[in-house]
Amino acid sequence: MATDRSPETTAGRVGRWSLTAFATAGFIYLFTPIVVIVAFSFNKPAGKFNIIWRHFTLDNWKDPFAPGPLTDAMILSLKIATIAAFVATVLGSLIALALVRYRFKGGALVNLLLVLPITTPEIVMGSSLATLFIDWGWQRGFTTIVIAHILFCTSFVALTVKARIRGFDWSLEDAAMDLGAPPWRTFSRVTLPLITPGILAAALLSFALSIDDFIITFFNSGSEETFPIRIFGASRVEISPQINVLATIVLLGSVSLMLAGVLFRRRLEES
Amino acid sequence: MGAVAGVGLVGPSLLAACGSDDKKTGGNGGAASKSLWFENWPAYIDEETVDLFKQASDLEFRYTESYNDNNEYFAKVQSDLAAGRSIGPDIIAPTYWLTARLINLGWVQEIPFDKIPNAKNLVPQLQNPGWDPDGKFSLPWQSGMTGIAYNIKTTGRELKSMADLFDPAFKGKIGMLTEMRDTVGLVMLLTGEDPATATMDTAEAAFAKIQGAKDSGQVRQFTGNDYMDDLAGGGFAACIGWSGDIGQLALDNPDLRFVIPEEGGMSWSDTMVLPNGTEHVANAAIWMNYVYDPENAARIAEYVGYNSPVAGVQEIFAAGDDFQKALAESPLLFPDAETTARLKVFASLDEDTEAAFDERFSSIVGA
Amino acid sequence: MAADDDGDRTKRRGRWVPFGLLSPGMIWLGLFFLLPLVTLARTSLSVKESRFAVDAKFTWEWSNFTNAISDYSEQFVRSFIYAGTATLLCIAIGYPVAYVIAVRGGRYKNALLGLVVVPFFTSFLIRTLAWATVLADNGPVLGMLERLHLVGTLDSLGIVQNGGLLSTHVAVIGGLTYNFLPFMILPIYVSLEKIDLRLTEAAKDLYNNGWQAFRRVVLPLSLPGVFAGSLLTFIPAAGDFVNARFLGGPNNTMIGTVVQDRFLVQLDYPTAAALSFTLMAIITVATLVYARLLGTDDLV
Repeated sequence: MATDRSPETTAGRVGRWSLTAFATAGFIYLFTPIVVIVAFSFNKPAGKFNIIWRHFTLDNWKDPFAPGPLTDAMILSLKIATIAAFVATVLGSLIALALVRYRFKGGALVNLLLVLPITTPEIVMGSSLATLFIDWGWQRGFTTIVIAHILFCTSFVALTVKARIRGFDWSLEDAAMDLGAPPWRTFSRVTLPLITPGILAAALLSFALSIDDFIITFFNSGSEETFPIRIFGASRVEISPQINVLATIVLLGSVSLMLAGVLFRRRLEES
Repeated sequence: MGAVAGVGLVGPSLLAACGSDDKKTGGNGGAASKSLWFENWPAYIDEETVDLFKQASDLEFRYTESYNDNNEYFAKVQSDLAAGRSIGPDIIAPTYWLTARLINLGWVQEIPFDKIPNAKNLVPQLQNPGWDPDGKFSLPWQSGMTGIAYNIKTTGRELKSMADLFDPAFKGKIGMLTEMRDTVGLVMLLTGEDPATATMDTAEAAFAKIQGAKDSGQVRQFTGNDYMDDLAGGGFAACIGWSGDIGQLALDNPDLRFVIPEEGGMSWSDTMVLPNGTEHVANAAIWMNYVYDPENAARIAEYVGYNSPVAGVQEIFAAGDDFQKALAESPLLFPDAETTARLKVFASLDEDTEAAFDERFSSIVGA
Repeated sequence: MAADDDGDRTKRRGRWVPFGLLSPGMIWLGLFFLLPLVTLARTSLSVKESRFAVDAKFTWEWSNFTNAISDYSEQFVRSFIYAGTATLLCIAIGYPVAYVIAVRGGRYKNALLGLVVVPFFTSFLIRTLAWATVLADNGPVLGMLERLHLVGTLDSLGIVQNGGLLSTHVAVIGGLTYNFLPFMILPIYVSLEKIDLRLTEAAKDLYNNGWQAFRRVVLPLSLPGVFAGSLLTFIPAAGDFVNARFLGGPNNTMIGTVVQDRFLVQLDYPTAAALSFTLMAIITVATLVYARLLGTDDLV
């Protein structure tokens, strides 16, 4: 096996050590703002801007979901993300299925159309969509935000699901069909379980992208305020600690979801 | 393309029906007449007035704070107002120059002053202002002064004039406002011109001066209200700022000072207007009457810290608790006649001149 | 064999099935992605009668493009320098991280990947504001630099400007680098992970030198990941304006700032559209050149 490996030189060892050190520094770099965000959720700012550390307080955490524009914005973001993720997952998965399971003319064109939204700068997509809505006389608001989010999420979903299901063994499907199962039954009993993990991953990705989106939403939100829009808009007048509290809650929530997913998968593998 | 146009025509009404916009004023006929929606700037009202008003008036009052920037808001609502559609809110509070623009474009309705007896409390200097000469379309929400805000600990000395902002000793520690009229107006006063009669020619020297300061790094940043923390923390030694902001901060931090420059300062107002398409004009009048009652105006002014447009507030403060008595004495909230005489309001510009000013300023700010 | 099966399957289920599956998504993309680009193209060649008019007249106004490029060349150049530098920094920081996870991660691979992704469950704006706190004048970074007496040297290098870290080129580039780092780490990780470890072992034996093995074997195989990561970093970074807004000053504005100003403040839709198309054109050219440089054909 690998027992004949040549002895490690000092240079090699230094190289290995510095590589690990560098990577650790990279992780610290990734977490620096996170530490700041969580820490400042416990800050009591002197004025309206939570940027300079004054002193520790638990006040901000006493009522994190206090009614107000930030909470409303967070709820709106969650609403939009749920709808957009759902629709985008359906549209994108259908596209991915078509691309992977069928051979047809125009496959390359479909791929191109999928990749284009990802490689277009958000500012171009946002302003062009806004121009369209202005042209059509559509008032910009909830509906237009949802439309915009479904747009960019669909591409991500399609490419993610496509990558996930590419290498699958589809003979199971054929076997079911040969045995006389109707197409819908085959789909729900055989195909769907196979592709569900990929679809779930894509749905989660859509949800995250939608919640965090700023630039495209900025041009198409009208008077509605999603969480990032609210932060940006109000940032000229105030940066409240409630933002940090809500952000920390979202962070803890997503970490727990991830851990739950990992534990769930471990349990599945063991059983 | 025809099919697409068809979708474009049918689509909006379909989707609007499915979407959860409560943009259209009122869901059902009966409730429509009792609703009112005021979209204001953030942090521009105290915590109690909204609830007190709801109890007193029995209206379904919606108060939102998503009016963050005049230009952004105008861009959002322009296509609706141009097409004669309602934009949603019944009352908005644009800054005086946007009010002038809206009036000139014919996009706001006359305010029913016959239903607002308290409008007689409007302070004399704000009656029939330059942006609304007939006084029919707007009613001020708050007024304020623009001058120099500085941190005496960082500067080490008192500042008296806009020239101090160009002092090389403060290089990289100066802030100016993104509000074009305030920044350019103050610098115009420094260059000896009158902003109340500004033209591109008279403003050129001011523009050049600001451009020079930006290029050399003298000016670190053009800000909105976010200069306050930088000022307190030492990031800015001095900046152009607004009276109400410093009024609040100085209570905690006596190092922060506000001064109207020797050459003069700028005066401005955010005014309530009724955009076209809103049906709740009568309800809006009830709100305006309410906030022009000196008691309510005093409560708002105590929190906001700007110059109340309602007469009688100073007397109420003078008879109140210690905090309010201090406010009654504050030259920031109640400037004396000598100070007021040194304040200018920026000229009302026609569309082309305004565009030229905005373009020139944008190119300096880096956009 | 398999090809015949595919053909039979298609015939059995009907030719329309793939198009049926594709149509909802494709119609959505066509309507809300392609059509707006067409509208944008039309607007870029139009002229508005007045600032507050809503409609623009289509008049083949090519001068919109020439004016846009000449008026805002400074911001264009700056955007590409910022985005390019941020991309290079992302490669420099992200590649080692991805390498360590892929090659040395072992059992902890997924946990480490999770650690990479977790910071990005907070909002992009909040992360940028957090950097404004960290880099503030009385913040930890500048405080440390002052104690180490490095401020003077850094000032002459242009990293620190006028004694501060905010409103500088470095701050904006730093913000861009941070915000797009996972978009670089993940694709590189994916491509590294696909490399059979036995190949790297064989290479190490062959070259008797870890570095050479890396350069000759691992690096070329990971290039598709580097390419994908670079695209996912450079393209959004070039069009960004949030980092410039919160971390930069008036001398650090990017082309995104200009587009936003044209669109929302000056209401100059034709110029905004022209700028958008120019941005896209330059990005496309840059991407093709980069692809040629790296020699990668199979990308997506």
